[in-house]
Amino acid sequence: MSTVICSLPCTHWFCQTLRFPAAVVTDDVEGLLPRAIGLGASGAAARKAGDEWAADGFFREALDAARTALQRLDDRHSPATRLDVLRAGICFALDCGRVEEAQTFLAQVAAVEPAAGAAEDWAPLRDVDAWPDEWLVAAVRRDPPVESALDALAERYWKPLFARCQFLTLDRNKAHDLAQEAWCRVLRARHALRPGGNFPAYLTAVATNIWRDWHRSARRAGGMAEHRLASLDAEVACDDGGTRSCLGDAMPDLNSIAAAEQRLLMLDVDHALAQLSPLLREILVSRFLAEESCAEIGRRHGRSEQTISGWVRQGIRELKHYLAEPQRCTSPRIAAR
Amino acid sequence: MTLPTSIVELLRWRAAQAEAEAPPAPRAARLLRLGRPWWEVWPDRFRVAAARVTARHVAYGHAMTAPPGRGGHPVPAVIVRERDDLETCARVLFLSLRDDRLRLRFHLEDDVGDDAAMCDATFIAAESARVLFDARAIRSAENEYRVDAGIPASLADEWAPLRVTDRKPFRLILRAAKPLDGQSEISTRSPDLTSS
Repeated sequence: MSTVICSLPCTHWFCQTLRFPAAVVTDDVEGLLPRAIGLGASGAAARKAGDEWAADGFFREALDAARTALQRLDDRHSPATRLDVLRAGICFALDCGRVEEAQTFLAQVAAVEPAAGAAEDWAPLRDVDAWPDEWLVAAVRRDPPVESALDALAERYWKPLFARCQFLTLDRNKAHDLAQEAWCRVLRARHALRPGGNFPAYLTAVATNIWRDWHRSARRAGGMAEHRLASLDAEVACDDGGTRSCLGDAMPDLNSIAAAEQRLLMLDVDHALAQLSPLLREILVSRFLAEESCAEIGRRHGRSEQTISGWVRQGIRELKHYLAEPQRCTSPRIAAR
Repeated sequence: MTLPTSIVELLRWRAAQAEAEAPPAPRAARLLRLGRPWWEVWPDRFRVAAARVTARHVAYGHAMTAPPGRGGHPVPAVIVRERDDLETCARVLFLSLRDDRLRLRFHLEDDVGDDAAMCDATFIAAESARVLFDARAIRSAENEYRVDAGIPASLADEWAPLRVTDRKPFRLILRAAKPLDGQSEISTRSPDLTSS
């Protein structure tokens, strides 16, 4: 068979080691595999562009091609070719969320070459915990969702989510409820999840929305803390004219503080956060923990980037103020300032 | 914008402490169980409520043809309560569909109960009783609730021409929502041992 020697691009990170001579497209292994890899590249591009419908179609076709290539392998093909076909099949199966099929392929890897089955370069395919978010999300989207994938996803993002929920609620039990509710909400709409999207950011946004709803309902008023919103754009002078030096000057190394003192400092921070309006707290969480830009936060709140930037400054000023207020501080380190 | 790094570091440090002290992640089985919609958990309750609320267009036929008082046409609704269901009516006061988001404000003729500051609103098709979507409805005033929810694109297209005064292609099943009370345990016990 005549071949043109060139490598087909594949954007998939596990497929990057696959390099096949592109061929006049035929229905033998030498033609099918490049075709599968090409389709996979198109799928990855579509997924990156947010077109999940197209991505799903490309990945299914790529998987079909890899499956067919696998069936057509015979004695003429080397073990290395077999392993390449299997690797491609595993990647495309996981792109489609077909975990069972990927595991079937993985079992065949060990049969082709027992050493390969245990080799380190196959570990990222075997180990669910090492899979990228997009494979885990693709598996969770399926009916029924793949529990091992959901476990891995929950394990990966539970702690950061819990921390953000704790910042919002300032209560450990409520933070747990909120984080759990966010997961439940995400799972109920799991068919609409985009494997190529930013899953942790989505999870955090869902938790924030739930918290905002709860907060609003608790107030039983239209709009959250509107009376405070109005004042946020205005400058609030600090007691000392806003020229207080940074709190960090008094804290050489947060991690070196003794445990008891760390506990007190945590109480101080929680106390200071509790003094902020819920909106400001949310803005600070979004800006500094979720690391969203002011423009992104502004889009969510229907406000300009400048307004959000002002709120961020306001939040920081207020935090400094409350942290440095001697009568409220429990930490001698802070109170001493 | 120049950030006072120390405050940011302090916040991140506090977040790291919270992460370190986070309870274990719930297992997938538990999350899936908790995430099931109520109509799957209690299919019989749903069937009964859906049958009642979709049959109501006959009973409310007169009201629907009469000039609306406050708000548009009444939307038949059922409030699912612990012991029984209550048939009621929702008057749509505001309706907006933009970017696949539904913003709705409605007034309920009856109280959802338990002094509910929010409730879960399940939107079902008026004809087929099929669940269209569910959303959180938050009380903004006496018996007045508002919904702000993303809805399926196909539904958004279909409902785009809807006005407040139009007859609505949906019915409502409402349930009081539990507040975020932090009452759930977060001990290290196995989450799988708890009931949903």
